[in-house]
Amino acid sequence: MIDVKGRRVLLLVPPVTYRATDFVTAANRLELDVVIGSDGALPLGGKPVVPIDAADPGGSVRRLLATVGRVDAVVGVDAQMLPLAARLAGELGLAHNSVDAVIAAADKAIQRHLWAEAGVAQPRFHIMAADAGEPHLIEAARALGFPCIAKPVSLSASRGVLRVDDDAGLLAAVREIRAILAQTSGGDQEPVLLEEYVPGWEVSIDGLLTDGSLAVTAVFDKPDTPEGPTFEETLLVTPSRLPESTLALATDLAERAARTLGLHHGPIHAELRLDGRAGQARPIMLELAARSIGGLCSRSLRFLGDMSLEMTILLNALGGTVVASPPPGAAGVLMLPVERDGVLESVGGREEALAVPGITGLSITIPMGEKVRPLPWGDRYLGFLFAEGSEAVEVEESLRAARQRLRPLII
Amino acid sequence: MLASARAVPVDLADRDLARRVAAALQASVLPSVVARGGEIRVLGIDNGTVILEMTGSPGAALPLRARIEALIRHAVPEVAAVRMVGPGAEPPAGGAAGDFEDLVRTVLDREVNPVIAAHRGHASLVAVEEGWVRLRLEGGCQGCSLAEVTLRQGIEPMLRARVPGIVGLVDVTDHQAGREPFYSAAKR
Repeated sequence: MIDVKGRRVLLLVPPVTYRATDFVTAANRLELDVVIGSDGALPLGGKPVVPIDAADPGGSVRRLLATVGRVDAVVGVDAQMLPLAARLAGELGLAHNSVDAVIAAADKAIQRHLWAEAGVAQPRFHIMAADAGEPHLIEAARALGFPCIAKPVSLSASRGVLRVDDDAGLLAAVREIRAILAQTSGGDQEPVLLEEYVPGWEVSIDGLLTDGSLAVTAVFDKPDTPEGPTFEETLLVTPSRLPESTLALATDLAERAARTLGLHHGPIHAELRLDGRAGQARPIMLELAARSIGGLCSRSLRFLGDMSLEMTILLNALGGTVVASPPPGAAGVLMLPVERDGVLESVGGREEALAVPGITGLSITIPMGEKVRPLPWGDRYLGFLFAEGSEAVEVEESLRAARQRLRPLII
Repeated sequence: MLASARAVPVDLADRDLARRVAAALQASVLPSVVARGGEIRVLGIDNGTVILEMTGSPGAALPLRARIEALIRHAVPEVAAVRMVGPGAEPPAGGAAGDFEDLVRTVLDREVNPVIAAHRGHASLVAVEEGWVRLRLEGGCQGCSLAEVTLRQGIEPMLRARVPGIVGLVDVTDHQAGREPFYSAAKR
């Protein structure tokens, strides 16, 4: 590991994120000189905490440049901070992705168009304008064939993603997506993406780009690959059980997809399916984000040299060549989905779940008493279960067994 | 999947004991310690006493000390005692413990809590032990997704500046039990 002690890193931290604690902890472990920029009002700033506003990137950059001084790296802790991080890093002359690239990675319509131009394997699709009429929607969906997928272009974590099986289902799904957008981002005028449904095993690839070259940090299998109508991501297990040749194809595709978007530096999180329709497992790109895996999922990962995923990201941002080798064995995480509308009253069975062999942790991340909503509306998980074992199948069994012992009460 | 708790014993019997202790740590508390920014490893065995070295983020392992000892003694019955060592593990020089604690409480009451009250938050001193300040965050800070930022960028440097001899800050908050966090994590 390169010695980065004392080097100055600016972390851009949104307030509503799972990721702040892990990045701050990683920075402390590396003994970095940390400066925080946040659009969350922080009551106490013994060390520099610079107020920023992601909606005012110009003003935020000026304020940061005037306040922070020299820094060795700028890291956006979560997706909403990435455009600002890119712009600021550019102003400071640090290695960075272009603002256009990180915006492209956050917009599924731009992604699809760029990948189509470059011939990156992906589902067939149509981008439907906000004012697209019903006949136009139906025509497009029929051209793709049912079932197909309808999704907003700007949301993540499977929000608003719906499988539709017929004309009526399509129109209902589009209405629901527009209602979700109106409520969440005020963007009911944004287009809706229609794409073909691709059956097959799903994987996610996390990695770090250095000058456009991808170093994979983790490949997670999704043994419970969702089939709809909503697309909860629940079970992630690493290392992948796929053949090396398939993984190599998937990794190459993810790297190419990232470069096509203009991404050259920092973390990526790619989601792919193995299209088995032609009798072979052909990787295709579903989505790619210019960030690391979301939620608390990174806590399932450890690397030789006692590094966390966030430490590798910080080292990468500081220009280090990171060799993120996982130790022997397998690990996994299970994101606990919200299964119904209501108020979370309690989560019983925690001790029983933690007692399952192989389970290494449980974190319930929604406060008791809060309203919760399932997908396609919700934007949170109840929490996260973590497991380790010598084999992936063993980890998967531990997570399933532990989940069965949990008793969330939503009323 | 965690980094190994490396054993550095001097004889073969101790080596086996250390290996079993390391395995017990890996299967139990090490994930929690690493997740909190720390690391513990088996430094050696001395007449049945396991010597563990704490490194990394201050406070990552200390709050778990009693649990770690209980787990090790349960998993490896031959262990007579557990001793934890690490940089800065010595108590602060000079001054009585009561003075030190009073000073910490004064800074919290006068400088920290009036400010974080703006977020309905409160920091309570739980204990001072060998220079380690154990705090519990309450109200809006309990379960807040930016609590770690406030703790490490705000409270800790403020206390270090005002109270000489602080080794580290330990957050003993049960954040999962927080019912009114000022910021609640979500995926946006």
